[in-house]
Parts: sequence; structure tokens; C-alpha cells
Amino acid sequence: MSLPELDQRDDDELIETILAAADRRDLAAMAVAAAEVSEMTRNWATHIPWDEFDSLDEIALDEVIADLTQMWEPVNLQVDADEEYALDKNAYDFYRPVGRNLMTRTEEFHGWVEARRRTETWQYSRTLEAAPNSVAQITNDIGRRTRGINFNSQDYLSFNTHPAIREAATKAMRDYGPHSAGSPMVLGNTRISDELEASLGELVRAEQVTLFPTGWAAGFGAMAGLVRQEDHVLIDRLAHSCLQQGARATTRNVVRYEHLNVDEVRRHLVDIRRRDSRNGILVVTDGLFSVDADWPDLVTLQRVCREHDATLLVDVAHDLGSMGPGGTGVLGMQDVLGDIDIVMGAFSKTFCSNGGFVASASPALKQYLKMFGGSHMFSNALSPVQTAVVLEASKIIRSAEGDLLRSRLHTAVTALRDELIGHGLTCMGEPSPIVPLLIGNEKLARIANRLLFDRGVLAFMVEFPVTPTGSSRFRLQVQANHEPDEARAAARIIADAITDARTYLSSAFGSTQR
Amino acid sequence: MPRYDVIVIGARCSGASTGMLLARQGYRVLVVDRSTFPSDVISTHFLWPHGTSYLNRWGLLDQALAVTPAHTEVTFVNDGIPLTGSVPDELLRAYFRDWHGDDTGVVRSYASIRRHVLDQMLVEAASKAGAEIRTNFTVRELITEGEQVVGVRGRTSDGRLVEERARIVVGADGRNSFVARSLGLPKFDERPRCTFAYWSYYSGFDLGPAQLHRRGRLACAVAPTNHDQNMVLVWGPSEWSREFRRDVPGNFQRALDFVSPELGEVVRTQGVRAERIYGTLDQSAFLRPLAGPGWVLVGDAESAKDQCTAIGMTHAFRGAELVADALGRWLSGDVSLNEAMTTYESRRRSQNAAAYYDYVCTLAEMRPYRHDELQLFVALRGNQQEIDRFVATHADIAPVSEFFQASNLLLLNDAAKESSAGYPVFDDFPTTARMYQQNLFA
Repeated sequence: MSLPELDQRDDDELIETILAAADRRDLAAMAVAAAEVSEMTRNWATHIPWDEFDSLDEIALDEVIADLTQMWEPVNLQVDADEEYALDKNAYDFYRPVGRNLMTRTEEFHGWVEARRRTETWQYSRTLEAAPNSVAQITNDIGRRTRGINFNSQDYLSFNTHPAIREAATKAMRDYGPHSAGSPMVLGNTRISDELEASLGELVRAEQVTLFPTGWAAGFGAMAGLVRQEDHVLIDRLAHSCLQQGARATTRNVVRYEHLNVDEVRRHLVDIRRRDSRNGILVVTDGLFSVDADWPDLVTLQRVCREHDATLLVDVAHDLGSMGPGGTGVLGMQDVLGDIDIVMGAFSKTFCSNGGFVASASPALKQYLKMFGGSHMFSNALSPVQTAVVLEASKIIRSAEGDLLRSRLHTAVTALRDELIGHGLTCMGEPSPIVPLLIGNEKLARIANRLLFDRGVLAFMVEFPVTPTGSSRFRLQVQANHEPDEARAAARIIADAITDARTYLSSAFGSTQR
Repeated sequence: MPRYDVIVIGARCSGASTGMLLARQGYRVLVVDRSTFPSDVISTHFLWPHGTSYLNRWGLLDQALAVTPAHTEVTFVNDGIPLTGSVPDELLRAYFRDWHGDDTGVVRSYASIRRHVLDQMLVEAASKAGAEIRTNFTVRELITEGEQVVGVRGRTSDGRLVEERARIVVGADGRNSFVARSLGLPKFDERPRCTFAYWSYYSGFDLGPAQLHRRGRLACAVAPTNHDQNMVLVWGPSEWSREFRRDVPGNFQRALDFVSPELGEVVRTQGVRAERIYGTLDQSAFLRPLAGPGWVLVGDAESAKDQCTAIGMTHAFRGAELVADALGRWLSGDVSLNEAMTTYESRRRSQNAAAYYDYVCTLAEMRPYRHDELQLFVALRGNQQEIDRFVATHADIAPVSEFFQASNLLLLNDAAKESSAGYPVFDDFPTTARMYQQNLFA
């Protein structure tokens, strides 16, 4: 093959010449210039009749001009700048702000949030207008109000409307008042705090329970209390943020293992123990993962940990109370109650209140965490109203009524999942109170979410930093009060909104299995 | 009974490969192309390690590497922050298991192979496998019966008009696909913002493995290729192309000098240019429907993207293996055509594929790196495992979502071993960022 000569004119110049000749309807000049166009370009733009310019009719000539212009002029860049900016960015784009002034460097992020608010694609900071039930009324952050089937609350057993729970709160208010009396280590606790610790200890079969003012405080406090900078943390890539940040705050020796992969945990444990026989290893996972709705093999994980003298911590925030025999969650489902080193949880899901706990079989560990966890000793205790609500919730969870509520919840979950799948959508994970509906592309999810707001379904769209980029989803949180018909109706509305969002964006990507 | 099982239109990366793989399964395959090989085509002809792995799986890599330099390491320099890495073996294996169910033939090297070398090799391999190859054959029309595509009408090298029929027609004819145009297929997810790219071939220096430099809205790359030459490439935002075109050779050198003064110096003082400078602006990304009655698309015809991550040929190979596997299972009677095409489509339109498409399209806008992005590059330094994973992510070997995951990015930041103090770009970043917005060629 002979290589092209250097002194030939560039394709740019040739095509400019051809277009100029085409304007003059000078077909002969077009053909002459075309003969010089490089083989590369001719082979690439096979839709241009390079060898036939001298025999084009008027219609064909117009087509050629259009095709050449499209190839050689910058493409149309006219788009709605505001919406494009809102849809294109992700939160991680703003994680490392520029400048030495900590206050002014937050402006860029704020500009993006404002663009998302203006285009109504900002899913955060919505406000409830009344007590949430299976239906709720909310206002978005630019003041527009809507009412819809509510998959946006994490009240899995519908305790918010339960008479006994409400009565427990009222009684505690009468007995103790609002009561902000200080840290639990000082004088923040009441008699019912002890009762709650005992009740939770029986539920998870680990009697040494410490209460924390929030679930976050429990997770972060457990890590901060136990792990020192020489120690190691092996943490599931998708474990809850309080545990991830706890790990980062306590040691640089953090390994994030592939989601649910026990074999990888084993390999890392072997590797660490080969190098370090002196320091501690904490292995961290969730019970039910709140954005994927799946769970680890706890039996094997705990066994592997013991084999390498590592300690296992399991966060049961989402499954305890709402799943498993007697509300014992994933621990009960896998028959490892009383067998896990450290169990932590939060009251903000099934238990209808704030707060969290850490439980184990060790009185020493309990006392140590109270002193060195930070968020126990140096935070105000759970209020009596919160304590009473959680205590009453824990009693119902363990009763026959708890079984009934879980059964109703499961029926609604099945109805929702089946209908969504029937519309060709992808529900991730296993049946649980969380139904993650995978969308993927953030733009698609944000537009679908905008459409849903006015169509009678309240759903929380999650994206980075809750999920990895490119795997956004709706996290639908089901309640015992959801009727199956209500769930199916919601699923149909969601499916329509996704279809319309795809049309709006002209997107071939989406959660449909195509 | 039609004469062929499959007619493939287009005999380059996706078409010749698809034809070869189907012929090897014993099917009657006709591959047609307008060109006569060896033949060049607009392309920056880079094959990432999964690209060369496909060649190896098909038994063609040794032949390719006999005439083409290959390396495993690649260097990225972003605003003066260098990162050198290579794709880890285990990620490559996971990739092949995930996409194709087996990880045979995995190699870690990449290569930049000229198309007149590679395409001819593929055409010969397809022919050797038993496919009938007709070059200098121009398809004029698709033959349809009702909605069903059943064959093609075209002009042969000696000027005769002929008709050929097959059970299915594969459109492997690039972003300007005749098949897609004839069928009036819509484009989805069009991304008009893209890069202009200009490149040529130089002898006179050997810089070893490929390097990619980026500064502001411009980038350049050098990769060793065939004939002891280097491909030298510059690219930038398409909005600047009109000004760039006013003086292509002058602006080519100016862009090199701006993005990497060192590379600019080497090219100016040692480089001997062997060919004209080639260019393209027509790179906006899109997707098309993948399959319909009697037809299926593969390669750029179904999904074209900007050249900025140099993934086109590698994806063409991936598409060829996917489509050949799907069609083979249908032709053998194992599954229905609908089922086979659904599998093909669900893979090509998977979440990971969508996330990577977004990644490329965003990069192609050539917005200057923000302060936080540059700090991430600094944070990566000293962490070889994560640099390698970043390289793998950039090349679509590891999922974008796993690298750009909150816990990973935050952890990287906390574990950073190097500070940004040693990099001038951070000294007066706001001024630099403003300067980057100015069109260098205006």
C-alpha cells in the first residue's frame, strides 16, 4: 500500500472547498476536490457519494450538503444550561472544594443544588405536612405540595399510627416530661432505659446492651470505642455510612471488601494475620443492606472471623423487628441469634423513634464502649418518650401481633415487587421492607422522580453518595399498612413515570430488561 | 432456503470479527465491504488489554504483535500530575467472566494497530474460517419482505448488480451505517458535545509506552504503532474546532506545546511526519436500536462514542463476540431469535454499559478538571492498586460505579500519601481555571 503524500491538502480544507462548490452548484469542482479526500475519511463516511459528485441531481445534492455540513461543522450545542447542569453533575463532583476560605468554597456546590431545585430534580429536604401513614402529604423544598401513596417513610410495621405506641409516648410524657437530663453516664437514664436494654437483649439474644442517642452514634461510637490506629477494619463496600466513616476515623488500615464476599474476607484475614499477629481486626457488615436489599452469609462470616481471631460487627438497623422469626431479623433467619460477636442497630426504622444500640455477650465490652465510644458518654441520652416508644415497639415486635404485622408487610412487599417486575422493571435483592427499584442513570432517575412527585406516589430516589454513581434507584420502603392494591397501583404509576422520563431524555438506558 | 445464514455488511473490526466467529461455528457467512483491503479508515486505532485479549481468544494476537509494539503500562498526566498504571489481571478475568462466561485468552498488554494492518488481518482470518468475503462491493438496498429484512442488493467489483439472501443481516457498517439509515432507525441518548481530534504519524523518536496528557480543555497522546512510527494525537472541545482548522499544522504543534511542552519539544525537534494530518469532528455519541426483524447491529452502528477513551475498537470486538454467540445459539436451534437478541441487548444496555457511556460522554465535553478532581489524582499517587483500578475503570474493564463509590473516594482522600503542594496547578487555581476557558486558537 502506498502511504499518502505529505503535500496533499487536509481533509478539512477539501471539504470546505466541496461545500463552497456545492453552494455554487459547481459539481465538477466538487468532484475534483473529492478525488483528493483521504482514504481514511472516504471509508469512514461511506454515506457520502464521493465518486459520484459530478452526476448528482438537485435533491441528492441537498442531501450531500446536509451530510457534509453535519460532519464538518460543530454540532448543535443548544441545550437548557440549567437543566443540563442539574442533571449532569453528581455530589462527588463537589467533595474537594477549591480555596483556602472554608466558607466561600462551598458556593460551587450551592450553585448546583440551586440548579437542581429550580429544575425540581432535588429529592432532598422534603417536608411532611401530617402524620405519615401508607398515604402522606408532603411539600418539596420549593414549596409545592402533593399527596401520595407513601413509600418514603421507614415505618415498616406502621407503628406511627399504632394506638399502644402512641399511648406509651403519652404516658412517658406524663410521667417524666420532655426530660433532657444529660448523658446516660451522668443522670440521663430513667428506669425504663434499663427495661429497654433488657428487652432488646432478649430480642437479639445478647444481653449486654448499650443505648445511643441515634443509630449513627451507635455505629460510629462502636468503631471509635473499639478500634485503634494499629488495628484493622475489613468492611463491606456497601456497609452503612456511619460504619464507613467510623472506620476511616479510627484507622488507616481499612480494607473495603467486595459486597457480601466471604471468600475475600477470608483472604484478607489470612493476609493480615500473616503480617500482623498483634493487633485487632474488626469485620463489619450490615444485616439487611438498605440500598441493595440483600444480606451476608453470617454463619460462614462469623466462623471465618473466629478462625483468625477477628471480631464481627453486624448492623441490623433495617431488618431487626421487621423480618425473621419473632422479628429477630436476618440473625434469626440464619439461626445465629446469640452467636454474633457484636450486634448494633437503630430505632429509626421499625421502632418508630430515634436512637440506636450496641449489644454483645460481654459486660466488659459494654462498659468499655460506654466510656470510650464517645457518642454514649458525651451525648444526651434518649428522652423518656423515645425510650418508651422503643420499649413498647420491642414488646409488640415479639408478640403475636408482631407476627401479624410482618405478615401484612410481606404481602404488600410481594404485591409491589410482582407488579414492578411485571412491568419489566428490575427489583434488586430479596423480599424485605426495602424494595430497591434499579434505574441506573442519574438523569433518568431524577426526571422520573420529578414526574412522580405530581402523580400520587412518594418515593425516595437515591444516588451518590448513597449508591455508587451510575446505579441510582428508588428505595421504596413498604409498611404493614400498605394494602396490596395500593402497592400495585403505585407500581403502575412508577412504571409510567419511568417510561415518560425515558421518552423525555430519549434514553435507551433504564431499568427495563431489554 | 436462503443461500447464506448470515450476511454481514462491513468488514472491519466488528464485521470481519463477527463473520469470522460465525464461520468458525460452521455457518454460511457472506461478508461485504465497499473497501478493498488493506485499507485505512478514520480511527485512532487503540486496543486496550481486553481488546488485545479478544484477538488472543481468536488466535490472532501473535500475528498482530509480530508487527505492532505492545506495552502494559500507560501514563496519564493531568495538569502536571502523573499517574502510571496497568490493568490488573484479576479485573480483566472478572470482566471476561462477566461478559462472556469464561476468561480464556486474557493478556494484559495493549497495542495501537494501524487499521490497514488490523482490518486486513481480520478479513483474512474471516476468509480462512470459511466466510465468503466480497470487497469493493457496495450495498445499494436492503431486500425486505413485509417488515422482514431478507437480504441485500448491491454492486460487485465488476459493476454487476446482484442480490443475496440470508436468514439474518448484520449491520457492522459504522457510525454512518447504511443499514441503520435504510431502516430509518432512530438515535437515542444523543450527546452533541464531543471532541475534535487531529492526528498523524511520526518517526524519529521512541518514548516507550503510551502517554496521555491533559491540560485545561485540551489533550494530547502519543502511542507507538506500526512501521516504527508513533501516532501523535491532539484533541479538544468541538466548540474550538472552527478556529483550530484555520491552521491545522500550526495549531497541532501549538496544542502539543500547551498541553505537554516536553512532548511538543520532542515532536518539533526529533519527529519526522510521515503522512498528512487527519481530523474529525463528527464524534457525537448515540445509541441505536440493536435488532429487529431480520437484522441486527454491532459496533459503532449500534453505539458510537467519542474517541477520548479510545474504546471503539475494543467495544467492536466485544460486540462481535456477543452477537456471534447470540446468533450462533439461534442458528443452532438452541433458542429463539427473540431470546438470543434479548440476551445480546440486555448486555449491551446493562447498567455498567450505561454508566460507562455517561463517563465517556462527560469526558468528551473536555471541561477543565476541577480542583477536586485534580486533588483526587494527587490522592491516587502512591496507591498503585487504586491507580491500576482507575486505569481499568477508564478503559471500561472495571465498572465505573465501583471506583466512583462514596466509601472508596472518601477513603482514598483520607489515605492520600502525597500533598498537592508540589504541583503548580494548585498555586493560583482560580486564575488558571479562568485561563483554561479561553480558546487557545482564537
